[in-house]
Amino acid sequence: MQKKWLWILLLASPLLAGAQDAQIPPDIQKLSARAKETVEVTMDGPMLRWASKFLSADDPDEERAAKLVANLTGIYVRSFEFDKEGAYTSAEVDELRSQFHSPGWSRVVGVRSAAEGDNVDIFFKLENDKMAGIVIIAAEPKELTFVNIVGPLELDQLADLGGEFGVPKLDRKTLKHAEKAEKGEQK
Amino acid sequence: MTHKTEIKAKIDGVDAALKTALCRQSAPEGFADQVLARIAAQNLAQPPERRNSWFSLFMQPILTQPIFIQPVVRWAALAAFATAMIFGVYIYNIRREHAQGEAAKKQLMLALRVAGSKLQLAKSKVNDMNTDPTRHVKE
Repeated sequence: MQKKWLWILLLASPLLAGAQDAQIPPDIQKLSARAKETVEVTMDGPMLRWASKFLSADDPDEERAAKLVANLTGIYVRSFEFDKEGAYTSAEVDELRSQFHSPGWSRVVGVRSAAEGDNVDIFFKLENDKMAGIVIIAAEPKELTFVNIVGPLELDQLADLGGEFGVPKLDRKTLKHAEKAEKGEQK
Repeated sequence: MTHKTEIKAKIDGVDAALKTALCRQSAPEGFADQVLARIAAQNLAQPPERRNSWFSLFMQPILTQPIFIQPVVRWAALAAFATAMIFGVYIYNIRREHAQGEAAKKQLMLALRVAGSKLQLAKSKVNDMNTDPTRHVKE
């Protein structure tokens, strides 16, 4: 009887692995061969729980992170930095986006910047009118980033995510300041 | 004359005795088997040569100390040694788990930073759109 279960587990393991990989589009892995630098983070539920045990309550960033990941079931990141522009095609990015044009997903932000070539898409997964996940696809000239956060996420936590964790908050004032500084350097 | 005959008789006697003593005689039956059996018995009786193990090299000088002659002390020392070993393994596992946890935490913070930076990028682009209408935004 035990052997039977062992066989079932062995046969089902590729299916289980496939189910886990579904959080990351399979085609995106192809880009790592062309990338200069690759960031890969794959954290499923148990791993998140375990990692969050090591987050310190004394550190404000880590405290916020602990609250944020408390109800999440997975965080998956693939970020590729390339040597030169055009290392990936727009068709590849479209293919990536098309996987989230399905029921349950809605694109809440889509930015196309002709000047800088930065394209950012943000998709929300809604379940019973509640956010159950977020996918960010950021295609920059020399960088392509895919982020999939699985699990319930509060909007205020999302705001935290956008403005904390060592990332400076960007608003018009800071942008103008940055532009002035840039112009000053050019002079 | 008599002296000569006496000497000759003695020489003949010695000669005869030598001939008798040195004459070829076959070994008694089963002699070879007896010899082999005796050799085998001797080999069995000899204890095998003992090698100096690491235990005898390092522990023998300690265990032969007068304090360790008592079995209670020996057992106590063994128990202390075993406890130290178990504690050492426990500490090692805790440290290893902590190192793995710290690595997982770094991965988590990295993931959140990447996600945060891309949200910031989107946010800044959306803000830009409000000032620059030539860009296309869908929100």
